[in-house]
Amino acid sequence: MATPMLGQFLTQINGFIKARNETSLTDYLVLEPPFAQAYTQIISELRATYPAGNDTALEAKCAQLLPEAEKGDQGATWTAFIRYMVTYLGYLRDVSADQGQYRRTYELLSEVQGKVNSALSHSTLGYLILRTAISNARLVCRLAIGLDRHPELLGPLKTGGGGEEGGARETLPEKAANTIRVAFTTALNDRSGSQANGLDSNGQPEGRRKGVYALANLCLKILFQCKKTRNASQIFQNITSNAPPLDAYPKAQQVTYLYYLGRFLWQNGHFGASAKVLGRAWEMCHAGSGTLKQRRSVLIYLIASNLLLGRFPSTALLSLPEAHGLTEKFMPICLAIRSGNLAALRNHLDFNSEHAAWFLHFRLLLQLRNRCEVLTWRSLVRKVFLLKGTLPEAGSNKAAFLDLPPLVAAFRAGGSQNPGLNPEDEPDPDLEGTPDFNSKPETGIDEYGVISILSSLVDQGLLRGFVAHKQQKLAILGSKNFGGNAVAAGFPAVWGVIGKKGGEGGVVGWKT
Amino acid sequence: MSGSTVNPTKPATNDSKDTSQPAQPQKPAQLEEDDEFEDFPVEDWAKEEEVGAQAASTHLWEESWDDDDTSDDFSVQLKAELEKVKK
Repeated sequence: MATPMLGQFLTQINGFIKARNETSLTDYLVLEPPFAQAYTQIISELRATYPAGNDTALEAKCAQLLPEAEKGDQGATWTAFIRYMVTYLGYLRDVSADQGQYRRTYELLSEVQGKVNSALSHSTLGYLILRTAISNARLVCRLAIGLDRHPELLGPLKTGGGGEEGGARETLPEKAANTIRVAFTTALNDRSGSQANGLDSNGQPEGRRKGVYALANLCLKILFQCKKTRNASQIFQNITSNAPPLDAYPKAQQVTYLYYLGRFLWQNGHFGASAKVLGRAWEMCHAGSGTLKQRRSVLIYLIASNLLLGRFPSTALLSLPEAHGLTEKFMPICLAIRSGNLAALRNHLDFNSEHAAWFLHFRLLLQLRNRCEVLTWRSLVRKVFLLKGTLPEAGSNKAAFLDLPPLVAAFRAGGSQNPGLNPEDEPDPDLEGTPDFNSKPETGIDEYGVISILSSLVDQGLLRGFVAHKQQKLAILGSKNFGGNAVAAGFPAVWGVIGKKGGEGGVVGWKT
Repeated sequence: MSGSTVNPTKPATNDSKDTSQPAQPQKPAQLEEDDEFEDFPVEDWAKEEEVGAQAASTHLWEESWDDDDTSDDFSVQLKAELEKVKK
């Protein structure tokens, strides 16, 4: 049967290759239904003449009408493009707009992604298909996330054949991320162009390196949505080694990338770096009403990171439209830290708290519980010192001090020593037969517990002093340097101690 | 052959999102918001359109927040606890 429209289409594609016309090539390789009339005609021709299962004939047709791909460039053929065209046309032929075919669409597009990745790897012609590779990856990403969220759309699972033996199986989203990662690596390793940093004389990324961050962002989106963030570290390391500087890219890509990097750093406990990266993302965000959701996403993690560094959101910040509702989440934490109110902090961040689900959803809860506790310890010691501390007489060389018993009482009043320990918990069955098995966990903190807390605060630089064990006192150092102000000497501002230190130096993954 | 015959008219669907939100979501919306980072509606913008440029004069962060007030409820309760130690 004649295929006039298909023939015309392929001839035009061939012309774009010959003319190195990246824009038209990208525009013609449409992906999303519903398709324009010309494409529905091509689809009819494909179904009639090259039905599924007859791709050898289709490949012969493509090879015949795409001589520029056969010829390639600088002696290297671009047959990978022909194989891509065959798969792409197969996708057009077989894809269905029916939502019930969600998984089938995903599989077809994943296959196209594999072929477009190969076509992208041609050293001199690959760049022609970069934007197509990114558009395809964007769809693969959406479908993979959709399927991960709605497993009922997966349909019956395939049995037999194709399954890996032993070991953990790669999940569907991981597989999608890995497929897109191939395109990312190809873009990253492009060595064409004049300068080693991958930028042209105008400071713009050259060749396939234009796609580095767009492709990285798609991989990261999948990994974060599907909670497989451990796999993200390789992307950040690759970027550090080979990518052009981030600020050479459009701001939408920069902010998106910094958002994922900031969250990754947060998850790994690098709060200073996380605050730095998210701070930059926030500042760079578009300020218009159309980007409220993006600003809110960045802001939630930025507030959390800064909070752990001793930098609280101001009321002006919490009044911004993107901060709607965040006051009730974060302000009680700030107030509890300020006053040293351990019980209030623990209540707010308890697993049974009304806010726990929200903090867990954003994966903020554990870090907040761990680190805010320490900042609250500092404030509590400070407050007890304000109430019960003893200042030396003027001119004396003695240190200001605080007796330990009031501190123990203050911590006891604040709640149990270990916020995770519940006296009602059953003993660990693994301990059966040991002397500890029937002993109830100690809930009230004792002197050793308080000394341990003080030592920890001293070690972290949050308390300048030492414990005089014999005298049962906490001695505060350096009052003289602060004009006799023992509180200022003993309790340096948290931000000055942790925040500034954490933000120093470069950040892995952030290419500047 | 003319380039006008095969017309790459953009399809009618919105490219920015939605395929990942199929028609029959099963999970109840338990939280008010999603943590998915949405695509920006524009790709690039000028420096003066950035948050940093527009909020430059706003006081956004508190770095000195230590609380010297010992008359609030918590301090009063704490004082009462500390008084017991004397005995």
